[in-house]
Amino acid sequence: MGSVTLTNIRKSYGAVEVLHGIDLDIADGEFTVLVGPSGCGKSTLLRSIAGLETISDGEISLDGEIINKRQPKERDIAMVFQNYALYPHMTVAKNMAFSLRLAKEAQSEIDRKVKDAAEILDLVPLLDRYPRQLSGGQRQRVAMGRAIVRDPKVFLFDEPLSNLDAKLRVQMRAEIKELHQRLKTTTIYVTHDQIEAMTMADKIVVMRGGHVEQIGSPLELYDRPASVFVAGFIGSPAMNFLPGSAKGGAIQTPNGDVIQGLPDGIAEGRAVIAGVRPEDLRLADQGIAARVVVIEPTGAETQLMLRTADTDITLTTRDRVSVAPGDTVHLQIEPGKLHCFDAETEMSLRTDDT
Amino acid sequence: MQNDRLLAYFMILPVVIAVLAFVIGPTYNVGTLSLTKIVMGQERGFGTFSNFTALTADPVFWLVLKNTAIWILGGTLLCVLVGLGVGAFLSVDSRLTTGLRALILLPWVLPDVVTAMAWKWMLHGQVGIIGQTLETTGLTEETISFLGDPNLVMWTLVVVLIWRKMPLVALILCAAIRSVPDDQIEAARMDGATAFERFRFVVIPNIAFSLTAVTVISMIWITAEFALPWIMTGGGPANSSQIMATYIYQQSFEFFNWGIASAMSVINLVMLASIVALYLYINRRSWASEGSK
Ligand SMILES: Nc1ncnc2c1ncn2[C@@H]1O[C@H](COP(=O)(O)OP(=O)(O)OP(=O)(O)O)[C@@H](O)[C@H]1O
Ligand SMILES: [Mg+2]
Repeated sequence: MGSVTLTNIRKSYGAVEVLHGIDLDIADGEFTVLVGPSGCGKSTLLRSIAGLETISDGEISLDGEIINKRQPKERDIAMVFQNYALYPHMTVAKNMAFSLRLAKEAQSEIDRKVKDAAEILDLVPLLDRYPRQLSGGQRQRVAMGRAIVRDPKVFLFDEPLSNLDAKLRVQMRAEIKELHQRLKTTTIYVTHDQIEAMTMADKIVVMRGGHVEQIGSPLELYDRPASVFVAGFIGSPAMNFLPGSAKGGAIQTPNGDVIQGLPDGIAEGRAVIAGVRPEDLRLADQGIAARVVVIEPTGAETQLMLRTADTDITLTTRDRVSVAPGDTVHLQIEPGKLHCFDAETEMSLRTDDT
Repeated sequence: MQNDRLLAYFMILPVVIAVLAFVIGPTYNVGTLSLTKIVMGQERGFGTFSNFTALTADPVFWLVLKNTAIWILGGTLLCVLVGLGVGAFLSVDSRLTTGLRALILLPWVLPDVVTAMAWKWMLHGQVGIIGQTLETTGLTEETISFLGDPNLVMWTLVVVLIWRKMPLVALILCAAIRSVPDDQIEAARMDGATAFERFRFVVIPNIAFSLTAVTVISMIWITAEFALPWIMTGGGPANSSQIMATYIYQQSFEFFNWGIASAMSVINLVMLASIVALYLYINRRSWASEGSK
């Protein structure tokens, strides 16, 4: 078991509050990803759950027990650090066995657990090596092994892949996910990479400036972002935003383009922001006029960088297009794919969801 | 190529000459002198071990060896242990420790002679403030003569030595402790290590290199320390605080027993060299066993 509940978590460093009341429910076995821009408090929140930081206010409970007054070692939570934090003077086996040795487990038991973890992580041939004799990916796996041997209720990861090169990151991402499917241990994973968040998470928590911006499954966040911030953060290439105002049941942009699909009940003249994902745009004979700036074919799909009179727009399409930089094209939005946000609050104007 | 070579040799020539003149030369002289029989300041034949046999027959020499062992081994051990404790304390960030980090070097910057004289008077049997304070506060029945008691004097010297040498050791170890990566300490906290276990199993191995280095360095400092014991006790009372450095000085410059003094210098040198060699060996081995960096 390992369900985590955070209630109104606040954390201040001196006079500066960096977490402004975080509420979060994490079910047993769930893979939760905390994502957000640098400095938004992801690490601070994770470290508070670990017990490495004391929170200023609020409650952290694990399986119904309040644990925020407990020392890290009494919380039954394991953490994998960004820089691995392996003990350089211990072999891989000793690194993994350290917590068990401190807990005074029997040697036979320690050996068995280390061996099991090493087999899961493909570390058996490396058990006698020192950390400095390992590659980055191998070190990462040792760091995970150190967490696994303890069989904790919760795993915490703080940007574990950010020191790896792109290819290895993709591979480790899959490995971590596979590991989670196998062990089914509740996992809280911090990253600022939205692709990592999308691909790994059961549940994504988008944070911004010490607040939770939105919580949901990856596709929920993708399909129904609650704010301009979430809409822009999730998805790559990022969503296009066109400011405008409500006029006759549509959105009119300052340079006269009209975008259909405004939700009902928006007062005439209200300032709104239209959001549309690059893959929900297509070239047409009429619609929003834009000039082609750059064409980036990647083979499978083509990305067009376009410019209207006042904004840049990205379009991706799986079709082969026959346009050249400098051409003027017209854009249509796939029906039902328009996102509308209030220009002032930047919150979604969606009315159809519950 | 050939020219580069010549230039290189030419460039290091001054250093080579200096080393030959000031290190190798005197060492060679002492070495030959120790094997020369000297009577009344006159050389009487080379190639004899008579200086060494005379030394071993001298009961004071064995006392000196014992005192030197206390001085060097006890001094080094305590210096490093106390330094480690103080360094660990200083490594914690607080307003108190940032101030102390600067102040602690005070004993280190005082001249040897000043330190020795100040402590000599503070520890004096009749007028010393330390003995008097202990008596008036009732901690001791009568005034202890720290430098007059043959059983105490060596350890008193060691205490003063530590007061003087420990600060730099503490600062070096403090810096080493502070450079231990935080995340290792935090990982150990997550792994369930108590404060002591974190220090023992994470901090100490991380600073092992600095620790061996300061141990060797303190040992060499302490072996070379002469002014402090010489000014405070001059080897007395009755040779009970006589150590190698002071005894060599006494034999050569007060009694003019050049042969005996050189023989002792040779023994001192061999001791020192073997200490350094041992530590180099341990260091090399501990690094090798941890793989190449
Ligand atoms: N020890 C500290 N003292 C004061 N302020 C701190 C401290 N640690 C973090 N902060 C502040 O708290 C805020 C949140 O930091 P945090 O490390 O949680 O960000 P993050 O979301 O993990 O960012 P990143 O993606 O860059 O790791 C930042 O504004 C940071 O400046
Ligand atoms: Mg962080």
